Amino acid sequence: MVSKKDMKQVEEYVYEIPKGFRDDMRVPARLYADEELLEMALKDRSVEQLVNTATLPGVVKYTLAMPDIHQGYGPPIGGVIPLRTSDGVISPGAVGYDINCGVRLLRSNILAEEVKPIMDDIVNALFRGVPSGVGRSGDIKLTQRQMDEVLEKGSAWAVSQGYGTKDDLEHTEERGGMAGAEARAVSKEAGKRGHDQLGTLGSGNHFVEVGEVEAIYDEETADAFGLFQGQMVVWVHSGSRGLGHQVCTDYVRDLQKAVTKYNIKLPDRELVCAPFDSPEGRDYFAAMASAANYAWANRQILAHRVRQVLDDVLAGLVKDRELTLVYDVAHNIAKVEEYPIDGKLTRLIIHRKGATRAFGPGMRGLPADYRDVGQPVLIPGDMGTASYVLVGTTKAMEKTFGTSCHGAGRVMSRSAAIKKIRGQELQRELLEKGIVVRGGDWKGLAEEAPDAYKDVDRVVNVVHSTGIARKVARLVPLGVIKG
Amino acid sequence: MTKRFEEIEHTADLALRVYGQDMRELFANAAYGMFAMMAEPSLEGPTREREVSLEAMDYESLLVDWLNELIYLHEVERETYSQFNIQTLSPTKLKAHVIGGPTRIKTKAIKAATFHDLAIKETVNGLVATIVFDV
Repeated sequence: MVSKKDMKQVEEYVYEIPKGFRDDMRVPARLYADEELLEMALKDRSVEQLVNTATLPGVVKYTLAMPDIHQGYGPPIGGVIPLRTSDGVISPGAVGYDINCGVRLLRSNILAEEVKPIMDDIVNALFRGVPSGVGRSGDIKLTQRQMDEVLEKGSAWAVSQGYGTKDDLEHTEERGGMAGAEARAVSKEAGKRGHDQLGTLGSGNHFVEVGEVEAIYDEETADAFGLFQGQMVVWVHSGSRGLGHQVCTDYVRDLQKAVTKYNIKLPDRELVCAPFDSPEGRDYFAAMASAANYAWANRQILAHRVRQVLDDVLAGLVKDRELTLVYDVAHNIAKVEEYPIDGKLTRLIIHRKGATRAFGPGMRGLPADYRDVGQPVLIPGDMGTASYVLVGTTKAMEKTFGTSCHGAGRVMSRSAAIKKIRGQELQRELLEKGIVVRGGDWKGLAEEAPDAYKDVDRVVNVVHSTGIARKVARLVPLGVIKG
Repeated sequence: MTKRFEEIEHTADLALRVYGQDMRELFANAAYGMFAMMAEPSLEGPTREREVSLEAMDYESLLVDWLNELIYLHEVERETYSQFNIQTLSPTKLKAHVIGGPTRIKTKAIKAATFHDLAIKETVNGLVATIVFDV
């Protein structure tokens, strides 16, 4: 186990485990945290998992963990691993099973006050209109040809079928379709798992949330993102469903052989990998990008369903019912980006596992209307507290490979949450706070209770204070459907 | 009856400690434990039976592949299994016959069994393995 005495503080809220801590480390590992978050991280195996990421071949500068760090498998959740594309590896285990699990935020011209009195109706309508729950399939059944198009085109396929607008694509990371995707790299089994799950929310921590912009910290940036105090917004959190899970399963299995073939030494077999520039590495990248595209198409269709439901339920109550996409970000993904390493611009494959890209102003790939201010960084918190919109900074480009945190981060295990919290009571308590919640089952709801998560204000404070993203707005939940 | 499996603490995911007098029992108990967390089969109507045949590089890989194959069948065939007859088992090969029924209740979505920290260990009381599942 790693302890506090094994770390040195390199600046306020930034702790480093030096390269010498373990013989197999190739670079140091850095953790963004305040005292309390650091203590929490040291309670489970997350910091040890962070150290493991610093052993991967081709790793540069340092690996990172964001303040929402918690224990995962392979890397910790909140982990960032920068690896050279020239001689480094790509790791399916380090991206995880829910490839491109991510979140999108929709804004409106509706005041939260206008919808609060009918939040019960809204939540019930969303629960009916958005398929959710364990293993739930939807009404879209993809043929093989349609599946190939989803995998290679992502959100653009969904828009071509009438689910959303071209403006949605502009405001999605990678425009909702990652280059390098090849349907041939995705197994038949993965296709079978995903053929009837497009446009479904799934279960676990996935949700649709109607929220209110409670506070604005940066008027100019909020204005650029179209956010204002008292506004009704909607969050959609989901991923690549069974298709992504199977892609990861397939490549974690198949790349075990590559580890032997390329003589790679790993501290944890779940960090299984292959050289990025190898047939095995290229195949995984093509499959991962395809699964990421499926996830973007999924969130695009989910957002369309949300728009339909709200248009219906708010008809006669508000005139302008349009929901506009602020942005859509990926949380679990590996992407090729360039950063200066030892004074030389270097192509890296950045693995983000439970971490959000947070590009600063002027970066290529940002939509024209955000290019001068930076990328919206969307941080959903827990269903009883708050969420944040931040903006990416130049400092993130210098310090964290353009990355910020992705949420509050769990602190309590699911089994402990079920023992401690009863779903029915939680629903009642949240209702007393003015939050209407519906879930597929009581246990699932209890697992996602606010007490199971860290304090999102504290997590965001670390990110904001270190300057790797800047606070723009704080949002509070009004109505939530949990998968 | 000896303990077949138990759930152990994991901050975000699901971890099971699985026991077996021998390798076959360990594999069967791992599958039994996983389905106990995940779903319940319908007890009415005819049973559903499947053959599973896998090859891998060692017992640990085979164990992960075995569980992931069952997750795949559970999701695609909408079936839940409760009996696991391991017919052939070597460090690189597994053949099994599994019996269950249509899934009646789904209690938890398990995305996959992982290799994280996975080691099959021999103790004085038999074999033990800890398996972390992504949920």
